[in-house]
Amino acid sequence: MSWRPVKAVVGRELSKLFRQRARLISSMVRPMIWLLVIGSGVGSMLQGSQQEGYLTFLVPGILAMTLLFASLLSALTLVYDKEFGVMRMMMIAPIAHYWIVISKLIAATLTAMVQAILLLVLLLILGLISVKIAVMLLLPALLTAICCAAIGGLIAVWSKSIDNFAVIMNFFIFPVFFLSGALYPVNQLPAYLHYIVQINPFSYGVDLLKHAVPNVDTDFSITTDIAVLIGFSAVAILIACWRFSRESVHEPLFHRVTKRP
Amino acid sequence: MDSNLAIRTRGLTKHYGSQTTAVNNLDLDIEAGQFYGLLGPNGAGKSTTIHMLTTMTSPTSGEAWIDNKQVSANPVAIRGMVGLVFQDSALDRTMSIDENLQFAAAMYNLPPKQANERIDELLSVFGLQEKRKQKLLALSGGQRRAVDIARGVLHKPKVLFLDEPTIGLDLPNRRAIWRFVEQLRRDEGMTVFLTTHYLEEAEACDHVDFFQKGQLLSGGKPSTLIEQLAEYILEINSPDPQQTIAQLSPLFGTPIQEDQQLSFKIAAHDVDFFQLQKTLGDTISSMQWRRPNLNDVYLWVVCHPSKGNQV
Repeated sequence: MSWRPVKAVVGRELSKLFRQRARLISSMVRPMIWLLVIGSGVGSMLQGSQQEGYLTFLVPGILAMTLLFASLLSALTLVYDKEFGVMRMMMIAPIAHYWIVISKLIAATLTAMVQAILLLVLLLILGLISVKIAVMLLLPALLTAICCAAIGGLIAVWSKSIDNFAVIMNFFIFPVFFLSGALYPVNQLPAYLHYIVQINPFSYGVDLLKHAVPNVDTDFSITTDIAVLIGFSAVAILIACWRFSRESVHEPLFHRVTKRP
Repeated sequence: MDSNLAIRTRGLTKHYGSQTTAVNNLDLDIEAGQFYGLLGPNGAGKSTTIHMLTTMTSPTSGEAWIDNKQVSANPVAIRGMVGLVFQDSALDRTMSIDENLQFAAAMYNLPPKQANERIDELLSVFGLQEKRKQKLLALSGGQRRAVDIARGVLHKPKVLFLDEPTIGLDLPNRRAIWRFVEQLRRDEGMTVFLTTHYLEEAEACDHVDFFQKGQLLSGGKPSTLIEQLAEYILEINSPDPQQTIAQLSPLFGTPIQEDQQLSFKIAAHDVDFFQLQKTLGDTISSMQWRRPNLNDVYLWVVCHPSKGNQV
C-alpha cells in the first residue's frame, strides 16, 4: 500500500477548503458569534470577575465546537462524494476500500486543525488567550479533531444520502455539542444529563481542551480524557472501515433498480 | 485453462433480494485484445455484469477471471488491471480536467511525472490539451465523456470496460468517442468490453452477444450474424396489413408487424423488387428494401425468436 492515493484524497479536501473562502470565513464567524453573543449575554447575568471567567471558560468550548463542525462536515463528504458519483473514482482504484475511509478521516482531522489554528490566531489577536495557551491547546485540539472525525465517519457510513443532513444536524451535532460541557460546567448539570455527558466522547475532548486553559474547572483527569479519546476513535474508525468495506452499503450507488421490459 | 483469455466467467449469477435476478448463470470467454460487445435492452443486466467483473459488486454465485486472475480472490489487483467508464460521469464537476485526472492518476499510484505525461498523451488523443486547466462544468457532454474515458485508461488497463459510453450524446460526439476508443485499442492493444443499446455502434466489435433478462441469447461476429440473417430487409407500409401478409408470407415467411408497418427478411439475393412493387401496386402505401444491419438481427433473433429465425 502506497501513500499516494491517501495523499490525493487528503489534498483534494484541503484544496477544496482553501478554495471555498466563504466556508472558511463562516467557520470563523460561527465561534465568534457564540463567544461574543453567548459569552457576553450569559456573562452579563454573572457578577464582576465571574463575567470575565465565563469568557475564558468558553474558549475551549468554542474551539471544540469549531473542531466538531469542521471535522464532522468534512467526514460527511464520504456521503457527498457518493451522491455526486465521485466516490466511484476512489472505489475503482486499486486500494482496499477501507483506505478511502481512513484517507477521508485524515482529511477531516487536518481540515478541522486548519480551522482551529485560524481561530486560535483570531483569539490571540483579540487578546483572549496567550501564545502559551494557544500552543498548549494544539495537542488536545488534534485528539478532539480525530474523535470528531471518527464520529463523522460513523455517521457517514450509515447515511444513505445527504438528504438526511438536517437529521444529522439535529440528532448528532447539536446533542453532541450541547451535552458536552462546552458551554457550562458538567458538575452543575442534573444527574440524568450528567450521565449523557459522560457517555458522549466529545465531552472528553472539551475537557482535555479545558485542561490547557488555566483557571477553568475540569470534570475528568487528563489520563481519562486521552484514554477515552484514543479508545473511542480507534473503535469508531474500525467500525466505520468495516462497514464501508461491505459492498452492500454501496449497492444503491451501482445498482439502480430498472424496470424490466 | 486457456491462458489467452482476458475475461472468463463460469455460472456468474447475481440476485438483488429474492425477487430480482440481474444476471443468470453467465458463461463468457473473451480473448485478449478483442473488442467485445454485450448488447441488450435497459435492465438486461449488462451493468451488473460489468460491476461483477470489476469488483464493484460480488456475484451471488459463480466466478470470474480477468487475465487468469480470480476476481473474488484478488479485488485490489483486479482493480489495477481493469479500467471502467461508468454510464454516468464519475468526475468532480467542481474541479478542472487536470485536477480530476491528476487525482485519478494518484489513486492509481502513478508518480506525478508519469501521470503528467500520460494525461498529456491522452488529452492530445481527445483534442483537449487546450482545455486542460478548465473546469469540467465548462465542457460539453461529449468532452466530459472523453475525459471520463481518459480517466478510465490512465493506468493502461489490460481490459477496458465501457458501460454505454455514448449514451445521451449527439451523433458527432458519438462518432468522436468511437474514434478515440479505436485509437486506444490500436495504440495500446487493450481488450475492450462494451455494453450499448445503440446496436449500429457495435458493428465494429469482433464479437457481440445479445443479452436479455440476465441471460445470453446468441452471438457471433456482427458481419456473420448479419449475413446469416438475410440478404435483404423489405419494409412495407400497408393500409391493409393482413392482406399484404397473406400475399407475401408464402414468398418471404412471416413478417415482423408493427401496426401498418411490415418487415420481411429475404434470404434470396435475386428478388425482383421492381416487379414486386408493380404487383402490389395501390394495395400498399410505401415499400423499401435495404441490406440488413445489427438492429435487424436484434429484432429478429432477440425480440421475435418465435418467427423461427434463430441464427
